[in-house]
Amino acid sequence: MSLSNKRLLVRATALAAVAALALAGCSSKGSTGNNSSGGSTTITLFNGSVGNFTENFNPLLSTGAELQPSQGVIYETLYYYNMARAQKPVPVLATGYSWNSDGTQLTITTRQGAKWTDGQAFTAQDVAFTFTLFQNNEGLNTTGAKWTAKATDDHTVVLTFPSTSFTLEPQLLGNMAMVPEHIWSKISDPAKETNINPVGTGPYKLKSFSAQSYVLTRNTDYWGTGDQAPKIDNVRYISLANADAATSALESGQIDWMGSYLPTLKDIVKQHPTLSYVNTPDSLTSVFTCSNAAMGCKGPQTDPAVRQAILYAMDRAQLNTQAVAGFAGPGSMAMLVPSVNGENIVDQANASLPQSADVAKAKSLLEADGWTMGSGGYYTKGGQELDLTINVVTGWTDYDTDCTLLQGQLKAAGIKLSVNQVAQNAWSQAEVSGNFQLSLNSINPGASPSPYFIYNNYLSSTNTAKAGDNATTNVSRYSNAAVDAAIKDASATNDAAKQKADYGIIQAQIAKDMPYIPIYVNQALTQFNNSRATGWPTPDNLYAFPEPWKSWDNGIVLKAIRPAKS
Amino acid sequence: MRFYLQKVLFYVVALWFAVTLNFLIPRLMPGNPVDILISKMGAAGQPVTPATRRALEIQLGTGGKGNWFTQYGQYLNDLIHGQLGASLVNHPAPVTEVIGQALPWTIALIGLSTVIAFLLGVGLGVFAGWRRGSWLDNLVPATTMFQAVPYFWLALILVLFFTRWHQWFPYAGGYDVTTTGPSLSTQFIGSAIYYGFLPACTIVLSSIGGWMLGMRNMMVATLSEDYVLAAEAKGLRPRRVRLTYAARNAVLPSLSGFAISLGFIVAGSIVTEQVFSYPGVGQLLWTAVSNDDYALMQGIFLVISLSVLAANLIVDLLYGLIDPRTRARA
Repeated sequence: MSLSNKRLLVRATALAAVAALALAGCSSKGSTGNNSSGGSTTITLFNGSVGNFTENFNPLLSTGAELQPSQGVIYETLYYYNMARAQKPVPVLATGYSWNSDGTQLTITTRQGAKWTDGQAFTAQDVAFTFTLFQNNEGLNTTGAKWTAKATDDHTVVLTFPSTSFTLEPQLLGNMAMVPEHIWSKISDPAKETNINPVGTGPYKLKSFSAQSYVLTRNTDYWGTGDQAPKIDNVRYISLANADAATSALESGQIDWMGSYLPTLKDIVKQHPTLSYVNTPDSLTSVFTCSNAAMGCKGPQTDPAVRQAILYAMDRAQLNTQAVAGFAGPGSMAMLVPSVNGENIVDQANASLPQSADVAKAKSLLEADGWTMGSGGYYTKGGQELDLTINVVTGWTDYDTDCTLLQGQLKAAGIKLSVNQVAQNAWSQAEVSGNFQLSLNSINPGASPSPYFIYNNYLSSTNTAKAGDNATTNVSRYSNAAVDAAIKDASATNDAAKQKADYGIIQAQIAKDMPYIPIYVNQALTQFNNSRATGWPTPDNLYAFPEPWKSWDNGIVLKAIRPAKS
Repeated sequence: MRFYLQKVLFYVVALWFAVTLNFLIPRLMPGNPVDILISKMGAAGQPVTPATRRALEIQLGTGGKGNWFTQYGQYLNDLIHGQLGASLVNHPAPVTEVIGQALPWTIALIGLSTVIAFLLGVGLGVFAGWRRGSWLDNLVPATTMFQAVPYFWLALILVLFFTRWHQWFPYAGGYDVTTTGPSLSTQFIGSAIYYGFLPACTIVLSSIGGWMLGMRNMMVATLSEDYVLAAEAKGLRPRRVRLTYAARNAVLPSLSGFAISLGFIVAGSIVTEQVFSYPGVGQLLWTAVSNDDYALMQGIFLVISLSVLAANLIVDLLYGLIDPRTRARA
């Protein structure tokens, strides 16, 4: 490049910068609100998406590649299971269901009058087809169970199972999107389908798509009427990279619905009267322990007395205030969320957790177990210091704060804790392979609020493996014959009273063994802007789990909200 | 001719090396994508059962079959046919499509601002070196200060000031999604420039100092050369001495630095794109790494290595033109 050309370029870039500034001046006026013209209401939703969207509206997937509104907003399930409070399943595309007495046959009555967005009627044949589709594609069937599905008339479907299958109910009814037979029967590999022209029964349908944002519009032929009909015209989905951008978006009124942990949320809401929030703690933050020496776990935490001592040495009130700004809810010894599952906790002694540290009790538990105080201020046994290492994901700031605080709290009780901050990949691999002592994680609910799923996933010895092999969900390597028998017994019935008795047996065992040491029920904060839409879930009326990233619940909330009067 | 042949041969070997490293590095990372997916599903309140793991493994495929040697052969073969596999995060979208979506944003933003920073920095450096001790020369420490401040800090301060305290610029995104969409309309391009202005400013501000300082010092050194003195003695106009005699020689080291930074344009700036939620390759790479999306990582690394090599090759060849000395053999 000759130098005179270069001079020209410098001039050209200077000009471009001036032009950009001029344009900036123009467009900054035009880009404030989200309300489009013509009196229609558009709300904007941020569900945690980062970066570009890739077009994929396949509701049968579970890889996270499917755009989230595919599940619950564009496509619907037969029933809706509310995880935010104790509530019976809500009918969606089915109006009734019943089990035979031994739990091998499920009869479903499908909704009449529902239509696919291409105008065709929704029938029991579509339901039978969808269930068969899941059955024929091993990769889509996340239950791993076997069944046959048959439509016996236009609005009845019968599912038949080889063995007692009561526990499959929430997954089948509440977690499987119904797809139209006339479209999906022509798709050769449904697991690889991206379904860019989705045809569902849901309250909204796809309007426009670009990699930075997509818009759904109200389905005017939706089966629901009155309260059950969608009332907001358009819903826009956007992506943002970080919580700062989300805060900016919320405060400037450009986002109507989002779910982020914002430590200063109370102040933000005070300053902006149109904003509101709801907190629905739902997963139990706990110290996961590799608890079972017989399964190959190594370290002092394999001793139940050490786990008990940790339970009492924790100052939960301090952890809550400092790690999550006091937004966490109280947990329980029973590994359940008391606000959702209180009635399933049999012994009230297990319904709560000590909120402040009881150092004396922690110490006496250790001493009764043969630990003696060493010269370094830590307990020792057989020449070994009581020294534990906890894994935590770097950058998960609330967890990182918890670990730092725990280090001090446990020290007061004579337990040495080293914090090992690792990347998420390494953290999860350590848990799955059993190559850890302690790990900070959370106990998540299953397909329905039923305690069965938590107990089966986290405690059953069928879901674990020896350290060194990959455990499926029970990473603590916990194995207890009494618990296994109770889990099996609870799965064989749908009599709530009988199940509760089984849960009581399990709760008594885990209060003693403590394979997962609960801390608190972690916050789940959702923020709303009430200036364009109202009727969002409130603490008094949690008709759905309010987080915008929650599949299925999303559709329920979008049906319930209505334009704000202006 | 021999000079160019040698260069090309060198780049072929470098390419093979880059491609091979690209194959190895993701395989040495711990963890596997299914575990990450399962912990995410659990956190998002989706039911996770033991069968879920098996189903996910089937959906995503269990990765390469056979030992590393056969995998390597397969990898090279796919590469030659332009196949980079399917992204796991966006399964089953092909990696090429996912990268293709992000690449234009990065090239436009980081590319333009790198070029602007280089031209401005070198241009100012020429004058600062020519008039030592002038006000322009005193600007050098000020610009290097911006470079010394950690980049993310500078970016965050600008975000706080220009998007929060004064809402003059948008805080996130590539364009205004509510009023326009990707097209060649003036409205879209205007919106994209408006949204890209602040991130571009941070890049220019933080990198201009280096170019300016380097160029200024080279100018000072070159101006004391005998041929500059000779040119002045001949009575040539100062402008001609400044540009054709001094600057042409002084710019050479900056030019090779520029080649390297051009190559890294494609890598994007992970920090810029994170701070400004900009939809480019840097953010994509971040997503790929945090989800163990090997195919996507490999694809991005490949694009980065190729562009660094290509930029270097081009400048190497150009260098031969600008500076005939490099062609001569010792």
